[in-house]
Amino acid sequence: MNQNLLTVSTSPHILGRTTVRSMYLEYMIALAPALLMGLYYFGAPALITVLLAVASAAVSDFIVSFITKKPSTLSNLHIICLGLVLGLILPPGAPWWLPVVGGALTVFLGIGIFGGIGYYPMNPVLVAWVALAISWPEAMNSFLDPLPLGTEGDWAEAETPLMQLKGDIGTLQAFELGVLWLGKVPGAIGATSSWALLAGGVYLIIRRIIPWQIPIGALLGAVGMALLAAYTDPAIEELGLEGFAAHMDVAWFHLGTGGLLIAAFFVGPEPVSSPVTPWGTLLFGVGIGLMAIIVRTWGGLVDGAFYGVLLMNAATPLLDRIRPRVIGKVVNGA
Amino acid sequence: MKLSNWFKGISLPRPPAAAPPVGLPAPEKVYLPLRQHRGAVAEPKVEPGQRVALGQVVGASEEFESAAVQATVSGVVEAIVDTVDPAGEKVPTVVIQNDGADAWADELAGAAILEDPAAVKATRPSHLLRRLREAGLVRAQVQGRPLHVDLSPPMAPQSYLYMTGIPVVRPIDTLIIRAVDVDPPVCPNQSCMGEASQDLAVGVAALARISGAKRVILALPSGVDAAGIAAIAAQYEWEVASVSQRAYPFASDNLLVQSLTGREVHTPYGEPRDVGVLLEPLISALDVGRVLSSGRPVIDRVFSVAGEVKNPQTFRVRLGTPISQVLDAAGGGPSRPGKIIVGGPMMGLAIFDPATPVTRETVGVFVQSAASVVAYADHPCIHCGRCVAVCPVNLIPSDLGKLCEFRMYEDAAEMNLMNCIECGCCAYVCPARRPMVHFLRHGKSEVLAGRME
Repeated sequence: MNQNLLTVSTSPHILGRTTVRSMYLEYMIALAPALLMGLYYFGAPALITVLLAVASAAVSDFIVSFITKKPSTLSNLHIICLGLVLGLILPPGAPWWLPVVGGALTVFLGIGIFGGIGYYPMNPVLVAWVALAISWPEAMNSFLDPLPLGTEGDWAEAETPLMQLKGDIGTLQAFELGVLWLGKVPGAIGATSSWALLAGGVYLIIRRIIPWQIPIGALLGAVGMALLAAYTDPAIEELGLEGFAAHMDVAWFHLGTGGLLIAAFFVGPEPVSSPVTPWGTLLFGVGIGLMAIIVRTWGGLVDGAFYGVLLMNAATPLLDRIRPRVIGKVVNGA
Repeated sequence: MKLSNWFKGISLPRPPAAAPPVGLPAPEKVYLPLRQHRGAVAEPKVEPGQRVALGQVVGASEEFESAAVQATVSGVVEAIVDTVDPAGEKVPTVVIQNDGADAWADELAGAAILEDPAAVKATRPSHLLRRLREAGLVRAQVQGRPLHVDLSPPMAPQSYLYMTGIPVVRPIDTLIIRAVDVDPPVCPNQSCMGEASQDLAVGVAALARISGAKRVILALPSGVDAAGIAAIAAQYEWEVASVSQRAYPFASDNLLVQSLTGREVHTPYGEPRDVGVLLEPLISALDVGRVLSSGRPVIDRVFSVAGEVKNPQTFRVRLGTPISQVLDAAGGGPSRPGKIIVGGPMMGLAIFDPATPVTRETVGVFVQSAASVVAYADHPCIHCGRCVAVCPVNLIPSDLGKLCEFRMYEDAAEMNLMNCIECGCCAYVCPARRPMVHFLRHGKSEVLAGRME
């Protein structure tokens, strides 16, 4: 046997360095600032919740691969990353079984029954999140007051800015935007520190891990809808907002609260369930932004960002039909 | 580069500055395949044992899409055997034992010599075309066509052209000379830029005269010292365009025509000539110039060796030299060779036999060691959209790949599978390492086979 046989295969003969593993690794790097800020503000309860979510997802993946007799795909970090995202959108100090059930639902209901990575139609993290939010609303809606690392005190339950907004529209003006964007407010573990999410998201866009259209579209949609609401909603008009700057403050409030930024930068652009075409991704993002603000302003629920993502996930096959014009295609062919 | 192309394609590492080609001595034996292009195989005109002179015709054909083959050494015809060309097809090949005399054939002595562009302009186009056909020039590109076919008006009847949907054949008014290499680091064109002189002027004048082009555009690689060739361009009033070598695949034929002239070439059946453009690589234009100004056929080929060899460089080798000998001249390949790729790393063809000869359609090889041969995976598509973002012709490769994988070829064809240019950008960026180009090529061949029935 000749040892110097040459390999013959189709081009290309060189490949880029990106793999599924490196992609999800970059996701987790981008999530690190938000995670660290969450741990800084919410301490041990947050750490336990996140760890339980990741561990539960990993164990569930082992069970799925055992049942389906397929090799475990844990090494490509996909499941780990989804578990991390799930942990970050849960409230800190949730009962221990909440992240455990959530992680299992992510893997079984979100991924496993559809056939694994690449095949599920909806974002698995949000499938689990919605199941939890419907089943245990009290547990999912009890948030802690932030207690930065090194401060003495006991954990106290508190209402998130958006919950206060539901009760009293005047909250819009009561909050200081600086505090809001720093994240020192009650909320989900990873969703409060807006600047950390923004930094991570920009990193993902620069590294071309996510298409820029989804976050930009979501932010544009949210700002546009928030301005529209500020100009037209009588409840907000009664606050006596004057001028564009005051109306823009409403938009800044909405961008900095709830799940909007984590939905725009991390949950929405989850590759498998988001569209791929240029205009499709942009509309996908805009839909997320619109839904978030519509639900917050006029809906019965507290936040609509995650429901917006789920709704747009359902529209993904439709959005993927908006294809760009193919260069070189004969138009008047006959 | 247009802003809308900013995110498309991929950005390759900048190739090292190309040195002028180094001459290689003639080998002891040359292997001359009787087809060195896309088209018909030439008939052998010599027999084993016959003595041949340099430049003597050893193969020719009455077929239009066929180029004559000349002896590139003087000596004795040893045998006519079958070799395999880069595309994997068997081709009869004339083997000539070199006697080292390099004696030119007598019948070439009387050829008219056109030494400057003014003389070319005074010659009839049909005469120039006949000279090129006799010299057997081939466009320097794997599966390139004989140059006289490129330059002649299309042979297909007008009704056929309507049938394929290509509207009107318009006269050629623009000639683009491409000094950029599509697939770096294999860069024979770039390394020849320093050699361009009177030959280039003669070659360009002849190509313009035959095609009727009024406007000549010289596409130079950006970031490379091109003062010499730019001076020639200024002297003969050619336009000069700067094209990035890193923005792959925007130097490939159709995309280059579009970015330089704004005209869109239809795929898959269209050619640049349909939109009035003739595009030739610099080394082909230089060959034309050498044929006309010397009166002799071109017996060597500029051949780049890149990748994992000791001294990657460009050579000027006799046609018919086995590629393994060129690799030895470049310091030898890796101890455990993995792939020898004719053409560049992105679009080249991997060959299985290092003894494959250098022909008129090969411009260089890219060598990989066994360790750096890439492996594709059967991972499912994760729908990330990176391939859509980079596709230079706006296809949705992820969907096409899935359709072809699951044998839904006609559905893929409806999603413009046939417009794929096989540049390989989708496979390059795919995080799941799916063999995208393999899927799409397979799908295309299945669609064509299905339509033939």
